[in-house]
Amino acid sequence: MSRLAVKQHLYKAILLPFLCIISACNTENDKSLSNHSIVYCSEGSPESFNPQTVTSGTTIDATSNQLYNRLISFRGEQNTIAPSLAKSWHVTRDGKMITFYLRKDVAFHQTRYFTPTRFFNADDVLFSFNRILSEEHPFHQVSGGKYPFFQSVSFSNLVESIEKINDYTIRFKFKYADSSILANIASDFAVILSKEYADALVLKNIKREIDTLPIGTGPFKLKEYRPGAYIRYAPHQDYWDKPSSLEQLIFDITPSSIGRLTKLLAGECDVIAFPIAHEKIKSKPELELEEVTSFNVGYLGFNTLKPPFNNVKVRQAVALAVNKQAIIDTVYQSKADMAHSLLPKTSWAYNKSTLAQTFDISKAKELMVDAGFPNGFTMNLWALPVQRAYNPDAITMAKLIQADLKKIGIKVLIENSLDMGSFLEQLSKGEHQSVLLGWSADHFDPDNFFTPLLSCSSAESGNNRTFWCNEDFDDLLQQALETTNVTQRKRFYSRALAIISTEVPLIPIAHSKRFQARKNIVKGEFLSPFGGIDFSKASKN
Amino acid sequence: MESILARQVKTNMLTFTLRRLNLFIFTMFLLTLLSFGLSFLFPGEQLMNISGQVNATPEQLIILGEQYQTQSNIFQQYFAYVNMLFHGDLGISMASQLSISTEIMSFLPATIELTLVALFIAMLFGIPIGFIAAINHRKVTDNIILSISMIGYSIPVFWLGLLAILVFSIQLGWLPSAGQISLLFEIEHVTGIQFIDILLSNSPYKWQAFQDASAHIFLPACVIALAPATIFVRLARTAMMEVLESQYIRTAKAKGLSFGQIIYNHAIRNAMVHVIRDVGLQFANLVTIAMVTEVIFSWPGIGRWLIESIYQRDHTAIQGGLLALSAFIFIVHIVTDFIYAALNPLARESRHGT
Amino acid sequence: MARDKIYLEEEFPSPLLQLWHNFKETPVVMLGFGCFVFLTILALFSPLITPYASVENHLDFLLLPPAWHNDGNVSFLLGTDNLGRDMLSRLMHGTSLTFGLSFVVVLISLVIGVVIGSFSALTSGIKSSFLNHFLDVILSIPSLLLAIVIVAILGTGLNNTLWAIIMVLIPQFVHITRNAVTEEFRKDYVLASRLDGASSLRILYHSVFPNILEKLISQATLAQSSAILDIAALGFLGLGAQIPMAEWGAMLKNGIDLFYIAPWTVYLPGLAILFAVVATNLVGEGMRHALKVSKEA
Repeated sequence: MSRLAVKQHLYKAILLPFLCIISACNTENDKSLSNHSIVYCSEGSPESFNPQTVTSGTTIDATSNQLYNRLISFRGEQNTIAPSLAKSWHVTRDGKMITFYLRKDVAFHQTRYFTPTRFFNADDVLFSFNRILSEEHPFHQVSGGKYPFFQSVSFSNLVESIEKINDYTIRFKFKYADSSILANIASDFAVILSKEYADALVLKNIKREIDTLPIGTGPFKLKEYRPGAYIRYAPHQDYWDKPSSLEQLIFDITPSSIGRLTKLLAGECDVIAFPIAHEKIKSKPELELEEVTSFNVGYLGFNTLKPPFNNVKVRQAVALAVNKQAIIDTVYQSKADMAHSLLPKTSWAYNKSTLAQTFDISKAKELMVDAGFPNGFTMNLWALPVQRAYNPDAITMAKLIQADLKKIGIKVLIENSLDMGSFLEQLSKGEHQSVLLGWSADHFDPDNFFTPLLSCSSAESGNNRTFWCNEDFDDLLQQALETTNVTQRKRFYSRALAIISTEVPLIPIAHSKRFQARKNIVKGEFLSPFGGIDFSKASKN
Repeated sequence: MESILARQVKTNMLTFTLRRLNLFIFTMFLLTLLSFGLSFLFPGEQLMNISGQVNATPEQLIILGEQYQTQSNIFQQYFAYVNMLFHGDLGISMASQLSISTEIMSFLPATIELTLVALFIAMLFGIPIGFIAAINHRKVTDNIILSISMIGYSIPVFWLGLLAILVFSIQLGWLPSAGQISLLFEIEHVTGIQFIDILLSNSPYKWQAFQDASAHIFLPACVIALAPATIFVRLARTAMMEVLESQYIRTAKAKGLSFGQIIYNHAIRNAMVHVIRDVGLQFANLVTIAMVTEVIFSWPGIGRWLIESIYQRDHTAIQGGLLALSAFIFIVHIVTDFIYAALNPLARESRHGT
Repeated sequence: MARDKIYLEEEFPSPLLQLWHNFKETPVVMLGFGCFVFLTILALFSPLITPYASVENHLDFLLLPPAWHNDGNVSFLLGTDNLGRDMLSRLMHGTSLTFGLSFVVVLISLVIGVVIGSFSALTSGIKSSFLNHFLDVILSIPSLLLAIVIVAILGTGLNNTLWAIIMVLIPQFVHITRNAVTEEFRKDYVLASRLDGASSLRILYHSVFPNILEKLISQATLAQSSAILDIAALGFLGLGAQIPMAEWGAMLKNGIDLFYIAPWTVYLPGLAILFAVVATNLVGEGMRHALKVSKEA
């Protein structure tokens, strides 16, 4: 054979199998694997694997419903409280004592780092809650000693004691009645950990791992976590409830929203968080866009401890100068409701008569002069660096507000260079003058909008980004919690809303809808109007 | 007679090696100097920048001060730094608080994998096309090839990457758009080079994983390879044109060898030698392009890691990454120099300065 | 009485004119040159001729496609982006930024590089050898990487990007100048001038520079196309010009998030960069070709 022919054959010999490899891949495409796996493109890395210590939605999505269970949970259309690890409970008439009767034969996860030798019992409940309540608890200081949700609802002030009656009965005693307590115990944060695991960690002196290598009773267990890259979950074979039909659940961490959309369009992700380009998704027959009215609010909060926002007139002036409609059109692309008060209109405590002031530039200018700033001032506005359901693009929102406030003489400097962790940290130290943030409620009780956001105790824990502390307001909240009479509670909440309206510690901007996009071969209702996603309900065709 | 010649050749190779070693040491010296200097130039405290321990307690700070000799003069500080380097300690990342040398070792193989595949593709397509252009000099084919390669050389790589994803991942759905391999496969991270890791793993889906990894590497490698390929076209064309004009080719023609024989037996081999010399130089360019491409394709390589460290203002990581990346490029440069010198004894003689 | 010249005199054009003559010969190169001139004029006069201010938000006209589209609007010829900014104005303004500034950057680094290179050529010994090796090392670090690190030190923003790129380009010019000057100094005409008593500086200025000018110009065009790509790359990575500046790379970065709903925000800036780089490369190629031809003649 001549050399030329040899060379030609050589080229073919290399090229053909190469092309074969490439072209064959997407058609075969690991059908067997992908049929029983779901890849979810999430928007960020979880801060920890224990929802007790955080409030961030990203962490809740990754952990709460996947790895853990709570004593009680929300179920059904009306989102009523339903049994979970507690199969029944009894509340005394004065509301000061609740007894939970626990489920038997509930198994904890078995992983490469832990093998349980017993089922779930009251010791685990005791451990999980005492860790939060008691400062002397050996695990209290682990991972920072902060339990922001519990602090913001004054959990430690509320609970007098928790008693173990027997292995499957546990009793909570409260110092006063609080009608939202059941909702708080059912929230995504009140997960049940394994005491046996905690004890094993103490022996090896690696207590930190209770939050980084989690053990729970939930439908999935942690298989592998590569920070910033992915989380791999495997199904919990001995799950007490209906087990998942999936063989693998993978969170593909993709902070860029265009990256998530690309992966969905290219078929690399089955479900994506916070999708953009809704028209594009709707135009594709193999994709589905879901929406759910969220119980949330995006707001512009003022640091009421720092000038100039310690002056209520200044706050009112800014409230009048912000063009909310433009923000809804641009940032939310009209997929949100304009917020007139802190509560969305789907809450039973919503009150039309206490609406916030509307858009009025001349009145704003007058107020500025009144407040002693006829020539305006310079301020900083911190914009949240990640997407959230309540605020998909804080930077653009900040720029629009910057342009709005320029008209009343205020120069706005936008601060957005931090990552989410540092951002939240600095906020809790009060480093900001104003901030674009928001709140997603954890349950339907209206108290969840007020106490964690604007109460005095929340100002202490740093979760109240306005550091606003108003005694009358706090009193009203307290009174509303002491009664279970809905009409009375409504009245208290309207008065509370009126105070927010006049004092303006924050400007509510919008209540958004939460969207999710998925391939239509993914089935199940796993998106909820509040709280984290629950993949145990998801399956693939 | 033969032994004298052999000795001469050996000596030449030896002197060549020594000279290259000298250059290498000097370069590493300068690079470490640069990296050390960066810790002073970056904003923030120098000790923080060089060690990355932002959460250190006062006691730990004292120990750190000892390690980096902050109390002594600048020369001792530099030597302390180099000493740490020799022990493999590049400090820890300010953002993730993990050891930088570990992070680099976990990301560098992915970049090596990607750049080598890209280099291979660039040479595979660039060199033959360059030869074809040279053979058809002054004809239409030559002009077409030159025009296309000029455009290929001018396209901004980040734009090309985006368009490639749009066309091949989304509109055609042929190739994936991000990552090294689909997450459905559980391949344990042993070396970081996906193909080797697949072979080493105990997954039942090895062949599919292999296909999947090939599909993932193909698009970014092609995007990276475009600009270098056009440069290879030009280099190969020039080399081949020079060779075709040279004496021994004319001799071969005079001897009556056919065109095909001339090309395959003589011209290609000699032209290739010239091209190899420039591969090392091209590699630096290729790595830069790879960095930007890694960001677009979310390829878990050192380029993307370095750029993210810059966003996060992680000074320790930037220092370490720059040092590692530059050293890597330089080592490849020297290796290609060696290959070239092995193939072409003429290159072993010294060149005056540069 | 004035008479027409009867005898055709041989004209010997100066080297620069000869260069221009050769340059003009290739039509493609002239096309590139035309585009280059067009871009330069645009860069100089863009603030005056853009239809709208490049950072003005037109909130009623968000995400408008280019005018030839069904939903397009003739008053926004190339469409608008997500904050209602006119693409055409931004692209024109971007010419001053990406293209215009690349020119300025190359000019500055050329001057500085030539000065340093000349001094280094005049000295010799250990200092010179050290400088050689130092330059080698700097030249082996990829230019974008070096620019990125310098930006990491100085901070982000267009100004710092420019300083970074200047610093990165200087070694190239130093290298060329040093080699060229050293080579020229070995030639006889320099020896002749020296024997006449001319100082080094004088020789440099009057004799050597005109001869190495061509090499410098050739390197300058290469440097400019690389500078355009580097400025755009840094803008794209978010390390250079920040939004809302209309730099092409930053525009591309802004456009990515809108890629699927407004693809023109990605196509247009990319095409602009491609256009500018091709024009610069054509001019550079033409120049190098003309140099080669005039040397062979």
